[in-house]
Amino acid sequence: MWWIPVVALLAAAVYLSLATDRFATERNLTNLVAQAGPLLLVSLGQMLVVVIRGLDLSVGAVISLTTAIVALELPAPVSLPLALLAGACVGLVNGTLTVRFRVHPIIATLAMAGILQGVTQLLRPVAGGRVPEVLGAVVNGSVGPVSTPILLALVAIGGMTLLLHRSRLGLHLFAVGGGETAGSFGVAEGRTRITAYVLCSVLATLTGLFIAGRIGSGDPNIGGPFSVDSITAVALGGTQLAGGIGSVGGTVAGAAFLALLSNGMNLLNVSAFVQTILKGTILLVVVLLQPRKNIGL
Amino acid sequence: MTALVELEDIGKSYGPTVALRGVSFRLAPGTVHALVGENGAGKSTLMKILSGVVTPDRGILRLRGERVVLPHPRAALDRGIATVFQELSLLPNLTVAENIFLGHEPRNRWGMVDRRVMEERTAELLAALELAVSPRCLVRQLSLAERQFVEIARGLGADAQVLILDEPSAALNAADVEKLFRQVRRLREAGTGIIYISHRLEEVFALADTVTVLKDGAEVGTYGTTDLDPDRLIALMVGRDLVDLFPPRATETGEVALAVEELRLSEAAPTVSLSVRRGEIVGLAGLEGQGQREILRSLVGLVPCQSGRVRVGDAVLDLPLGAREGIRAGYARGMGMIPEDRKEEGLLLDLSVAGNLLLTSESLRGALAPRHKAREEVARQVEDLAIKTESPEAPVASLSGGNQQKVLLGRVLGPELEVLLVEEPTRGVDVGAKVEIYQRLREFAEAGGAVLLLSRETLELIGLCDRLLVVHGGRVVGKMRGEEATDHAILEAALAADPEAGGEAA
Repeated sequence: MWWIPVVALLAAAVYLSLATDRFATERNLTNLVAQAGPLLLVSLGQMLVVVIRGLDLSVGAVISLTTAIVALELPAPVSLPLALLAGACVGLVNGTLTVRFRVHPIIATLAMAGILQGVTQLLRPVAGGRVPEVLGAVVNGSVGPVSTPILLALVAIGGMTLLLHRSRLGLHLFAVGGGETAGSFGVAEGRTRITAYVLCSVLATLTGLFIAGRIGSGDPNIGGPFSVDSITAVALGGTQLAGGIGSVGGTVAGAAFLALLSNGMNLLNVSAFVQTILKGTILLVVVLLQPRKNIGL
Repeated sequence: MTALVELEDIGKSYGPTVALRGVSFRLAPGTVHALVGENGAGKSTLMKILSGVVTPDRGILRLRGERVVLPHPRAALDRGIATVFQELSLLPNLTVAENIFLGHEPRNRWGMVDRRVMEERTAELLAALELAVSPRCLVRQLSLAERQFVEIARGLGADAQVLILDEPSAALNAADVEKLFRQVRRLREAGTGIIYISHRLEEVFALADTVTVLKDGAEVGTYGTTDLDPDRLIALMVGRDLVDLFPPRATETGEVALAVEELRLSEAAPTVSLSVRRGEIVGLAGLEGQGQREILRSLVGLVPCQSGRVRVGDAVLDLPLGAREGIRAGYARGMGMIPEDRKEEGLLLDLSVAGNLLLTSESLRGALAPRHKAREEVARQVEDLAIKTESPEAPVASLSGGNQQKVLLGRVLGPELEVLLVEEPTRGVDVGAKVEIYQRLREFAEAGGAVLLLSRETLELIGLCDRLLVVHGGRVVGKMRGEEATDHAILEAALAADPEAGGEAA
C-alpha cells in the first residue's frame, strides 16, 4: 500500500509537466510548496490522532480561529502565544472529551468545530484585519537560497519522524492505537491519547499561523476544507483509519499528492466545485482500499 | 524469612457480585506457588489486584514487609511485579521487540527508544525459549503458540522479583510446555517468586512447590504439592469428590452418521477419509498444527479446501463449501459446529444468554416467522445445562468461562442435530464445568448423535473419546481405541509417519 501515494505523486507530476507549460516553472513550484506546507502540517497532526484510533474534525476550525486571533491587531508577543494557547486548549478539551467522558471522537470534534466556527465569526465576521508583520516575514522569507516554507516543512517532517518513529511517545501512540490492552503494559493510555489531540490542535494552530502570514489577514472560512483534506491525505498515505498503523513518510506523500492535485487542477482551470467532488471521491476510494481486517485480528 | 508478597484479607466486589471475600496469600522468594480454583473462584481478580489492574475494596498488600498501594499497572511493574496475562494481550501492530519492552523501553543518550538494545535483548529472550522468530517480526504474523511465548518472554524480560503466570500454557503443546517449565525453574533458582495459575493439574504437580486453592472468592487452604494428589486437589477445588472426570465410554454404536470422503485440503495434499457412527465420540489427535483444525473446519466451509464429500445421514454435501453457506448448509442437514474461540467466533458477547441460545435455531427460520415458547425453551436449556446466570436476559459476557461454554453448547445442540463438530470443548474452563460438558457430549452421543472433536489436551482426548484418529501432515496416520490410547502412543504414531520430525524430536 505504501507505494500508492508515491506512484500517484510521480504520475501526477509527469502528467502536469506534459499537459501544461505553466507547471514546471519556478514560480509555480514555489507556489506549490507554499500550498502544500499548510496541508502537510495539519495532516501530520491529524495522523497522530488517527494512529490512536481517533479523528479530529476540528482542525479546520482551529486554523480559521488562529487567523482570526492573530488578526485582532494585538502586539505579536501577545497574539502569537494567545493563538497557541487557544489551540492547545482545544486539543486538551477534545482529548478529555473522548478519553474521560468517552464521547465518540467524531461527535466531540464535530461539536468543537461548530463552537470554534461560531467564536471565530464573532471575532471576525468577514475576512480582514492585519496580522503581525513577523508572520509574513517568516513565511515569505528565505534562509540563503532555501525558502522558509521548504525549511519549515523539512523541520516538521524531521521532528515528526523522531517523535513518531523514535521516541517513547511514538511507540506508545502505536500501542494505544493497536488495541485495548496497552494499559496493562504500563502505558499511560489516557494521557497518551490526550497528548495526541493536543499535538494535533497545536499543529493546526501552526498551520493557521502559516496561512495568516501568507494572506496577511484573518479569514473565518479559510480553514474549512482542511478537516477533510487532512483526513484524505492521511488515508492516502497508508495510515489505517482503524488505528495503530501509519507513517510520516506516507502522510508526506499523501499531502504532497493532494496539494499537487489542487495545483494541477487550478492550472488546468478545473472548477472548484468539481475539485471537491474529486477529493471526496478520492477519500472514499482510499478508505475502501484499506485492509480493515489487518489489526484487531 | 520475609515473604516477597503478602496479601491480607483482600476483598473486592463488582456491584452486587462478590469476587473476593477476605483472601490472604503469601509468596516466598525462590518458589513456584500455584493458584488453583474453578473459574469465578477469584484467581484472576486476586492477580489483577497484585498487578495493579484492579484496586481492592479492602485489605492490605505488603511487598517484602513494606505496605504498598498499587493504583495502576505501572506501579506494580515499577515494584518488580510482572504479569503474563491469560487473555492474549499483545498488540498485533507492533513488533515482537516492541511488545516485549513496551512500558519499559531502553533509551539511548538522546532519550530516544534504543531499538538496537531492545532487539538484542529480545533475541536473547527468544533464544532462551527456543523460539525462532525475528524480534522485528510483527506480532500479527505469529501463530497463537508463538504469541503465547512472546507473552512469556515479556514476563521474563521484565527482570521481576515476582512473576505472575496466568494460564501461560493454554495455547501450548507438550513440548512447548517443557520449554516454559525450564525457564520457570531457572527463575526459581535465581530467587524469583512465581505465581502460577493453570487449569492443567498435571502442570501444577510438575512445577509448583506450594498450592493455594480458592473457591467462591474465599481461600480453601494452602498446601505443599507433595502433600496432595490430583484427586484430592480436584475435590478441594470443586468442593466435592469426583469419582471420575469422564463419563463411561459408548457400549454400542449405530450406523455411520458422518462420513468424510476423499477430502483434499489443497491441490498437493493427500486425501482424508473418515467416518463417525451414531453413539460415538471420535477425536482428532496428534501434534499441534498438523491439519486437525483444517479438516474439521473444511467440513463446514470455514477453511477452504480443494475437493471432497461429506455425508451427513442421507444427505451429501460436495466440498468445498463457501464460508457463508457452509455453516447453514451443515445445520440444515443436522450438523453443528462449536468453534474454539467462543469469544470471537462462538458467541455474541453483548447479546443476552437467551439471545445466544436461540441464535442458531432462529437463523434457520423465516425472518418474520413468529416464535412460540422461546422463553420456555431457553428456561429448559438453562436448567438442562446448569448455566449459572442472574437471568436469561443477562449479557453472555457477564458469565464465567465455563458457563459461556455451556451457552455455546446449548446454542448448537438442538432436537434436529445429529452430528456435532467440536473444537477444544473445554478451553479455559474449570474442572466442574468440564465434567458437565463431557457429560453433555456423552449424553448427546448416547441419544444417537455422532461427535467429531479435537483438543490440545491429550488427557481429554484419551478420557472422552471412543476412538482416536492421529493426524499428521494433513493425513490420518494412525487409529486407536480410546481406552488403549496413551500420550506416548499418540506421539509415536504421529512421528512414525514423519521420520524427519521424529529425528528432530529425538
